[in-house]
Amino acid sequence: MRTLGEYFRLYIIIEAQYIKARMQYRADFIISSIGMFFSSLATLGVFWVILETVPDLAGWSLMEMVFIYAFYMIAISPMQILFDHAWQIRFHVQQGTFLKYYFRPLNMMFYYMSEMFDLKGLTQLVIGIALLIYSSIQLNLDWSLTRFFLLLMTVFSAALVQISIVVAASCAAFWVIDSYPVLGLAWKLREFSPYPMSIFDGAFRFAFTYVIPIGFVAFYPSQLFLRPEEVSSLVYFSPIVGLGLFAITYWIWTKGVNSYTGTGS
Amino acid sequence: MRSYLPVARATYMIGLVYRFGFLFAIVGNLVYLGVAYYLWKSIYRHSETLRGLTFNETFLYVGLGSAIFILLKTYADWIIHYEIREGAIAMYLTKPIDFQIYALFANLGSMIMNVTVLTIPTALIMTLIFKVKFAFGPGLFLFPISLLLAFLVSFSIDYFIGIMGFYTESVWGLSATKEIVVTVFSGALIPLQFFPEAIQKVLYWLPFQAIYHTPLMMMTKPDQGLNIFLPMILVQLAWAAILFVLARLFYNQAIKVLRIAGG
Repeated sequence: MRTLGEYFRLYIIIEAQYIKARMQYRADFIISSIGMFFSSLATLGVFWVILETVPDLAGWSLMEMVFIYAFYMIAISPMQILFDHAWQIRFHVQQGTFLKYYFRPLNMMFYYMSEMFDLKGLTQLVIGIALLIYSSIQLNLDWSLTRFFLLLMTVFSAALVQISIVVAASCAAFWVIDSYPVLGLAWKLREFSPYPMSIFDGAFRFAFTYVIPIGFVAFYPSQLFLRPEEVSSLVYFSPIVGLGLFAITYWIWTKGVNSYTGTGS
Repeated sequence: MRSYLPVARATYMIGLVYRFGFLFAIVGNLVYLGVAYYLWKSIYRHSETLRGLTFNETFLYVGLGSAIFILLKTYADWIIHYEIREGAIAMYLTKPIDFQIYALFANLGSMIMNVTVLTIPTALIMTLIFKVKFAFGPGLFLFPISLLLAFLVSFSIDYFIGIMGFYTESVWGLSATKEIVVTVFSGALIPLQFFPEAIQKVLYWLPFQAIYHTPLMMMTKPDQGLNIFLPMILVQLAWAAILFVLARLFYNQAIKVLRIAGG
């Protein structure tokens, strides 16, 4: 078994090489970043258009929505940057190239995911941080050291929730080969996480809180900073939700790689 | 024409193989409809009509938008880019076929497949579960024509982006940008009436509104006169023709720079 430190050092070495290789295609990086810029702001644009017509969305103002959205963008960035290779599992499984990941003395999920480091995700992260700073200045939020640590903790948990949902969906490839429909669905669900959960009721609210807990990606943790007085106590469980989901995902991944027998091509 | 119809038939048949995928797509649409329902319900909390649309009309617009979304998403950009990268495009160049017409028919086949497995079920879910009421009027009869023209406009834009693959490596960035511009400015995410006046004026001059807004308005407010609908159809027709020709000219230019490495 290798230690965490060794893995960290290894990751830096692998990604440094990867980034050097990608930098050959500088135009690609620039165009992709522009694409990322527009696509990450689309839903925010919709909120803006809506809030031009009505004063608030279920009681939330535009600037509060910007904060929730910024939190969402930061929380989904680690998945975009570090786990983007999840999208390719279906190709590797289909073509049989997945076999190579069995032959290294490394953790398989680590080895597989380290093969890609999505640079355009950094654009998303930067926009997210900028919007978070902008909205908290506009909203006069005061950032004590405790609250800052609370932010780090909730972002970490939210990122784990997001990573777990997407990686678990991509693991469907081990059983059904083409996991695109499952992944597409997971991806679509993700886009609803910055919506105020208070607009939902019944089955939807239950599902978004307990079944596929996208509420924990942005809305519930943001409440902690925007309106601490009306936050639901659920948010204090978010580290447990994050770590728990990741554990389940890791279990699914292990099951998947053990049951995969190749497609014979 | 006779040599292109089998292409459409073939892509239709390919669609049949992915039945499992459609199930997930329908579930995805169901969830989307639910989210849109609650979102707009909360927006219409205090008012009967907003920007001249009732809740029922807005939800019909947005919901039907999601039902036809898959039809008008042609993937021509991805497919053409892939064919250029893999060198498969050389195959088409040696055959006595027109590449643009070929690509159009290939997409038409999967579009017809999607009507049967996605659009109709989604529309059924809207009426049965969400109790959306459809109004009657001449718009209903013009809707299929308008949808076909919308498909042509959307195809030409995608084809154009695909051809850009002759020049650049980055199809992801181009396609992602195009997709967002199209979905936001066409009315696929939010009715164009909700945009601020100044922006609306610009949007009506762009080709994107011909993709979603025009057919969706025919269904949302079908009981209007032909004096309203006819100009709308003509604008669509004009955009379809202009973009089709532009894409063709672009292809004729781009094909000159094509270099295929191996294959």
